[in-house]
Amino acid sequence: MDDDLRGDLISDLPQSIIETILTKLPIKDAIRTSTLSRKWRYKWTTITDLVFNDKCASSYYDRPNSENNLVNFITHLLFLHDGPIHKFALSTSFLQSSPDIDQWLLFLSRKGTKELSIELGEGEWFRAPSCLFMYSKLTHLELVRCELDPPPHFKGFLCLKYLNLQQVLMPPDDIENLISSCPLLESLTLSYFDSLELTLCAPNLKYLSLEGEFLDICLENTPRLATVSVAMYMTDDIAEHFEHSSSCNIDKFLGGVPCLERLVGQIYFTKYLSVGMDRGINRIKYDRLKIVELYQVNFEDLNEVLAVLHVIVSSPNLKELQISGSSNTSAALLASDLGIWEKECSKDYMFDQLKTVKITEVSGILHEMGFIKFLLVHSPVLKEMTIIPSAYVTDGRLNMLVNLVRYRRASAQAEVIFVQEQL
Amino acid sequence: MASKGNLTLKSCNGKEFIVEEKVAVMSTTIKNMVDVDDSFAQGVIPIIGVDGKILAKLIEYCKEHAEADEDEEVKSEEYLKKFDEKFVDELNLNDLYDLLKASNYLEITKLLNLLCQKVASMIKGKKPEEIRRIFNIKNDFTPEEEEEINRQNPWAF
Repeated sequence: MDDDLRGDLISDLPQSIIETILTKLPIKDAIRTSTLSRKWRYKWTTITDLVFNDKCASSYYDRPNSENNLVNFITHLLFLHDGPIHKFALSTSFLQSSPDIDQWLLFLSRKGTKELSIELGEGEWFRAPSCLFMYSKLTHLELVRCELDPPPHFKGFLCLKYLNLQQVLMPPDDIENLISSCPLLESLTLSYFDSLELTLCAPNLKYLSLEGEFLDICLENTPRLATVSVAMYMTDDIAEHFEHSSSCNIDKFLGGVPCLERLVGQIYFTKYLSVGMDRGINRIKYDRLKIVELYQVNFEDLNEVLAVLHVIVSSPNLKELQISGSSNTSAALLASDLGIWEKECSKDYMFDQLKTVKITEVSGILHEMGFIKFLLVHSPVLKEMTIIPSAYVTDGRLNMLVNLVRYRRASAQAEVIFVQEQL
Repeated sequence: MASKGNLTLKSCNGKEFIVEEKVAVMSTTIKNMVDVDDSFAQGVIPIIGVDGKILAKLIEYCKEHAEADEDEEVKSEEYLKKFDEKFVDELNLNDLYDLLKASNYLEITKLLNLLCQKVASMIKGKKPEEIRRIFNIKNDFTPEEEEEINRQNPWAF
């Protein structure tokens, strides 16, 4: 049958389908459908997901107008909207703290909003109004650049599963309280918090991502945590704090995560883990840990090497390992304690699942090569080991190769790939 | 009758399809039927309001995705993406509407989303006249109404 003969069919599709279609359009396009025909005039007004960005304000104007345009746009839209609003997302560089936003948030708090995401421009930070803490149905909260101050009677977000706070000003105690008062929390991201001492109690947490300067992270009650990603920065103050610390970070951080499946550590994370290695009592096995990625590991620091070893040796089902050296180490190093490799290599320990290894920023220092040798000797099913030397190391490459060729390999299938960047 | 692990689906114009259960239960509606009443799993499941041509299309889609769900390595995400693209590109408007309604009724969420995305991409960035032409929508506004809409909505355009 010809399309023309059947005529206009889209207009009579069930409203739920029309809403799904409209939700997949930029919001301006969705509203414009009101001019198509009488049937379409109010179809857009019941969409439940509202996503705003800079494109909602016409870009033909200068900045102050853009701000007004966007405020007008959102205010008008909310005024015409009909029914519940499940999702409200606003990401804009045009707006900063403003009374309009406070009013929208109050309005939304009565609309059963489940997902809220607000990212405003630089400049004056947005101070979240107290009505934010009355969103009883919230499952998803994302805030960038704002001040949060929970009222004393705040009882928590009882349905919240996803929390992402970036550059949020908030007293440390309140962060911990906020997290522990969200009993269903599954995913937590905290970025750019300074000098934070964090103790996490989140029995349902599965995903954790942290970035910033942390004095201390203690995963106290996180039995379901499966994915952890940490980028840790370190100031001199914090480094000094660790020197005087008497605790074992590996116990605090990895002592309570029996379900860990994937661990990603960046910048100073490995250094952080290595603090107090010798005082550790943590001997749990990570039976589910399959992927480990540790970046900027300083192979000159024996404690860091031991921390890496500890993690992988405790993970009998490890499948993928990715490590990067820290590129500023010099190859000419008089390494002591090389005995650990003889000791480790002679053990009958095997990585029975390890298939893929990638080691980058290799500078060829002794512990690094010892580590590579150790992996080759103990990985019977290894398929691929990729080695990428540091761009700063040019003379030592031949030496690395000479050593690599010589190392025994437990896996007959193992392919060792030495990648030279195109110069 | 279908052998164990298979289900028989019957379109509204009497065509029967024997499909693996894992393929059929991509549809939440069918899954619920089978879960609640075992006799459906034995006999024939009538798919009301969906003709043989559309049902065959639905099964084609579900087959690819059910197999991909089972073994990621056999069918990569990229492969599925290509399959999806080709699948929607080959549809004419009539089939698109029929599949939208059928996937809505049968609750095949992934497919419904894919089809809605396709329609959205046909609307996105276009002027009202173009959209009306593509979908055969008749502009039934009186000139007065049209003027009213333009007067009320300068904030949105």
